[in-house]
Amino acid sequence: MIKDLLNVKRWEAFLDVLPTQYIPGFIMTLKVALAGLLLALVLGIIFGMFSSSKLNIFKFISRVYVEFFQNTPLVVQVFFYYACLPYLIGGRVPKFTLGVIGVGIYHGAYISEVIRTGIEAVPVGQFDAAYSQGFSYLQTMRYIILPQTMKMILPPLTNQALNLVKNTSVLAMVAGMDLMYYADSWGSDRGFFVQAYLPCALLYFLICFPLARLARYLEIRAKRTPVPKNKKEVA
Amino acid sequence: MKRFKTSTFLMAAAMTAAVALTGCAGSSDSGNTKAADTTAAAEADTTADTTADSSSDTGSGETAADVQKIIDSGILKVGTKIDVPKFGLQNTGTGEMEGLEIDLAYEIAGKIFDCTAAEAKEKKLVSFQGVTAKTRGPLLDNGEVDLVIATYTITPERKETWNFSTPYYTDAVGLMVLKDSGITAIEDLDGKIIGVSQGSTTKEGFKAYVAEKGLNVNPDFEEFDGYPSLAAALAAKNIDVFSVDRAILAGYNDDTTMILEDRFAEQEYGVASKLDNKGLAELVDGVVTDLINSGTMDTMLKDWGIE
Repeated sequence: MIKDLLNVKRWEAFLDVLPTQYIPGFIMTLKVALAGLLLALVLGIIFGMFSSSKLNIFKFISRVYVEFFQNTPLVVQVFFYYACLPYLIGGRVPKFTLGVIGVGIYHGAYISEVIRTGIEAVPVGQFDAAYSQGFSYLQTMRYIILPQTMKMILPPLTNQALNLVKNTSVLAMVAGMDLMYYADSWGSDRGFFVQAYLPCALLYFLICFPLARLARYLEIRAKRTPVPKNKKEVA
Repeated sequence: MKRFKTSTFLMAAAMTAAVALTGCAGSSDSGNTKAADTTAAAEADTTADTTADSSSDTGSGETAADVQKIIDSGILKVGTKIDVPKFGLQNTGTGEMEGLEIDLAYEIAGKIFDCTAAEAKEKKLVSFQGVTAKTRGPLLDNGEVDLVIATYTITPERKETWNFSTPYYTDAVGLMVLKDSGITAIEDLDGKIIGVSQGSTTKEGFKAYVAEKGLNVNPDFEEFDGYPSLAAALAAKNIDVFSVDRAILAGYNDDTTMILEDRFAEQEYGVASKLDNKGLAELVDGVVTDLINSGTMDTMLKDWGIE
């Protein structure tokens, strides 16, 4: 392992493929992660609000979505989109779309749960107070509940975002042209696995670490602000 | 609560230990490979000479250390394909392995254990393990298998990492398409997606072939881990072409597909062993050369219906 690490010849071979394979793969992963995160957040907020709605039908829809996608493996879901969707829609699914809907829908279910618990953690009196001031349901959510929810759910939300970034690597299994795909491809081509996977891991780290630090910063900042003062600002 | 914590801790400790152990095994192996890697070029001649002496005496006197290790273990571990008809195929009825490369493995086992190939088969002196284009290299390196006889194409790059015997068969790459795709010739492939196997040489071969013919055909390539996923991708039309060695394609051709006329990237299959195991490589090469020179290889190819 150590000798493998220090093999200059193999690192030179890696540098050769860095611009042609790793960088395009990195960009693909970044694009899929960002778009996937956006989709997951949108789905998470919609279904999270559904599940804390008073209407049973919304609750039911949200439960079905969450339970189904939370309790089936992401790999199966992505393979399904890849191998079965073309039969249903009669065409190829572009790899980018495949990745975005794959991680987006999967993590949307988790984020929905995060948001539901966040909303439920806000004291019910906050709803009552908002209604008494003439806020509609959506207005209550928008101005009163979700801002308070955001602070509480930041750590679990970060968790989901980081997992989403890492889970984009499942694309590699269906030739997704992402970072892991190229790393795996080059690694098995030359047999230089240390040089193939270590930089690959570092590149994922390069996306995740700043994201984690940013979330930590936001979390600390949120904690520093006294909650009652913030409530006044919002109201 | 206390008990729960203790058990969690123990579990974590056990897992860490397991990881550390496997980590050590892996690192020492790859360390060896690397050591051989850098010195191989410089010392190739000397190593070959010394081991050639020892292995030529196999059976009568001194035996190379790596070969002796196999004799001591009493079994030769060989990685073969399990899904390539005529070369390496697991009979779904009996579970037995069949094919040219299986027979070749028994020939080599016969030489190592000093008996005939038939006896080696009778005594089950070879244990077969299914490998794919991707797994065969690492399996050799970590000692999981002694030899890989799995439609393994010899390339200059691979020779830096593993030992290869004299080629026992020359194959070419083929292109398989769906009959209803409208593709009938290589000229139709511009802008299409060609699915190839991960860790294979198909992509380079295709590019060289079209360049040589002066065609302006620029398809995209997608790599898959294993032939079944390639076949599935072709069936779902996620790829337009399934392109691997013709020997392998034959096993996947059915009434919905057809193989185009084009043959390219003539390639030679060799028996691979770990780079350190020079003695074993020498012995294997002797067996293959003998089989070719005596004409036995031709008979074996004919027996399996391979052209």
